[in-house]
Amino acid sequence: MYQRLTAIAIVLALAAWPQASAAPSAARPSGPPLVEQSTAFEPLVIVVNRSNPVDDLSFAELRRIFLGNRSHWTNGRRITLVMRDPGEPERKTILRDVCGMNEDQLKTHFLHGLFTGEILVSPKTLSTPIGVRKFIFNVPGAIGYLRIRDVDATVKVVRVDELLPDDKGYKLHVTDQAGN
Amino acid sequence: MTKQLKFAFDRRSPVLLPFLDRILSAASRHNATLLLFLVCCGVAVIGAFVIRDLQRANTEAQRMYANSVHGLQQIGELQYDAQETRRATLYALTTSDSNLQVEYADQSRNADQRVKDGIAEYGRQAKQPEEIEIADRLTRDWTHYLDVRDEVLASILEGSIKEAVSLDLSGGVPAFERVRQDLNEVKRLYGEDASRSQANLVASARRSTWRLVGIHSFTLLLSGAAVWAIQRSRMLSAIQLAKLQMEFVASVSHELRTPLAVLSSAADNIADGLVEGKDSMRRYGAILQHQSRSMGHLVDEILLFASTEDGTNKYVLQPLQVSPIINSIVTETEVLVKGAGFVLDRNIEPDLPMVMGDVSGISKCLQNLISNAVKYGGDRRQIALRAFTAPIEQWSGREVRISVVDRGIGIDSSELAHIFDPFYRSPRVNAAQIHGTGLGLSLAKRIAESMGGRLSVLSELSIGSTFTLHLQIAKGDDMQTATTLSRPSPSSQP
Repeated sequence: MYQRLTAIAIVLALAAWPQASAAPSAARPSGPPLVEQSTAFEPLVIVVNRSNPVDDLSFAELRRIFLGNRSHWTNGRRITLVMRDPGEPERKTILRDVCGMNEDQLKTHFLHGLFTGEILVSPKTLSTPIGVRKFIFNVPGAIGYLRIRDVDATVKVVRVDELLPDDKGYKLHVTDQAGN
Repeated sequence: MTKQLKFAFDRRSPVLLPFLDRILSAASRHNATLLLFLVCCGVAVIGAFVIRDLQRANTEAQRMYANSVHGLQQIGELQYDAQETRRATLYALTTSDSNLQVEYADQSRNADQRVKDGIAEYGRQAKQPEEIEIADRLTRDWTHYLDVRDEVLASILEGSIKEAVSLDLSGGVPAFERVRQDLNEVKRLYGEDASRSQANLVASARRSTWRLVGIHSFTLLLSGAAVWAIQRSRMLSAIQLAKLQMEFVASVSHELRTPLAVLSSAADNIADGLVEGKDSMRRYGAILQHQSRSMGHLVDEILLFASTEDGTNKYVLQPLQVSPIINSIVTETEVLVKGAGFVLDRNIEPDLPMVMGDVSGISKCLQNLISNAVKYGGDRRQIALRAFTAPIEQWSGREVRISVVDRGIGIDSSELAHIFDPFYRSPRVNAAQIHGTGLGLSLAKRIAESMGGRLSVLSELSIGSTFTLHLQIAKGDDMQTATTLSRPSPSSQP
C-alpha cells in the first residue's frame, strides 16, 4: 500500500514539474558542458532580500541552498528558492555550475527530497527577471539569481566565495546560448 | 461788528467761510438734489455691504469646496486605495502562480504608496489639534497594517498559505479595522467642517437677502421722497415765478404809467392851448423827450432780457481795451450820476491787458451796475469804479475785474442767493418804494456769462455793495486773430 501511494505521488509530481524547453538538453547527462556555445559572458549574481543578514556564501553553501538541502537562514527565516523558467539561460547556468545537474535530475532530486521530507518547499518559478527581483523584494527569506544588468537597489547581491561579480575568478557567468 | 456773508472770492477773507456759505446756500436751494444724493449714498453704502457679503459667501463656498468637499473626495480615494491594498494582498492568496502573486503584491504596494501620500497630504493640511492627532494616529495604524501586510505577502509568496491566512486574521484584520475607523474619523471631521461652512454660507446668504431688501426699501422710500420734493420744488418755483411775473407786470405797468401820465398831461396842456411862449414849449418838449426816452429805455431792457432768456442774443467776443470802454460808460452815465447828486470815483490800473468781450455787452452790464449803485446808493452818494487784474479763483492765471462799489444800503445775507434771479425784488426795497423791474442784475449776470465771464457780489448790510464783473484776459492767439481780422485783405486794396 505504502509503495503504491509513493508511486502515485511521484507520477503526479513529475506531471506537475515544469518541462524543459529543450528536449535534447533534458536528455543530456550531468557534468560539464560538452560544447561551449556561448558567445558573450555576463556575470550571474546571487541576490537575496535586503533584510537578509547574509553577505557572503561559499560555493558549497550555495549548492546546498539551491538543492534545497539547507532550509533556513542564520536568522531563522525560511529559505525560499527563486528560479527562472526551465530553458532560460540563467537557470541553465545555475543547474550547470551550481547544482551540477540537468533539469530531469533536478526535478527528481526535489521530488525525492519533498517526498522524504528532507526538502520543505520546492523552488518558486518566475518568468521574468523583474518578477524575480520583486519576489525577492517581497520575501525576506528569498534567494535567487539575476543577470548583473537586472540588479537594482531593491535586492542585495551576495558574494560567492568572497567574490563579487566584477572580481577576478568569479565563477558564475551566463551566456545567451549557454549549453547544459 | 456787522454779520457778514461774503460771496465769490475775496483774498482778504478766509477761504473756508465762503465755501461753507456756498454749500449751505446750495443745500437750501437744492433739496431734491440732496435727497437724490442721499439715495445714491445710501444705496452705495448698503450695496457695498451686500458686495462684501457676496464676496464672503464666495470665499466661504470656495473654502468649503477646497477644504471639505475636496477633502472628502480625497478621503474617499484614500479609503478606496486602502481597500485596494488589502484586496490585492488577498487576491495573491487565490493563486499558486508566483508570477501572478508578484503582480498582486506589486498592485498592493502601489496602492499602499498612494495611501501613504494621501495620509501625508492630510497631515500637512491638518491645523486643528484634533486633525493633527488623527493624522498621527492614521499614519501609525497604517504603518502597522503595512508591517502585517508585508508578512502576509511574504508568507503567500513563500507558499505558506495557512500561515498567511493566520497572520491576516490575527494581525491584518484588526489593524485594517483601526485604519478604517481612523479614515471614518477624518471623514467625520470633514463633514463637520462642511456643515459649519454651509451654515456660514446660509447665514451670509440670508444677511445679503435682508440687505438687498433694505436697499430696495431704502431706495423706494428715498426715491419717493425725492420725487415728492422735486414736485413740490417745481410747484413752488411755478408759484414763485407766477408771483414774480405778476409783480413784474405791476412794476412795469407802474414804470410805464408814470411817464405816460406825464406825457398825457403835457399833451393835454399843449392841445388845450395852455402852453404859451417859446420857453414853455421848450420845457414841455424836454419833458416829453425825457419821458419817452425813459419808456424806450425800459422797453429796450425788457427786450434785451427776453433775448438773453431765449438765447438769441449772442455776443461776438474780441480783444478789447478796458479803459476806453470805462471812459465811455462814465460819460454816458454822467447825467444820471450827477443828476442824482453822486460822485463817481474812477480808478483804473495802468497797463491793463486786453480782455475778451463785447463792447455793447460790457457797456450794458456796467451801466446796469452803475444804475443800481445810484438807485441803492444811500445818502453817502459815493460810487467807485475800479478796474484791475487779479488771480483767477481756483485756477492758475489772471483775469481782469471791473468793480462797481457803492456805500449804500447793502444787501441782507439771506437775499444774496436770490438777487440774480429774474424779477426778484427785495422786500426791503419794495417797502422803501424804490422802483425797478427786477431784471437789471439778472440781465447783467447773463451778459457777463455770455461773454465767458461772471458777475459776483460782496455786500454788507448798511455798509455797501461791491459788484464785480470778471473778464478773461485776451491770449496771444486771440490777439493775432483780432489783428488779422482788423487788417484789410490785400485783394480789397485798390
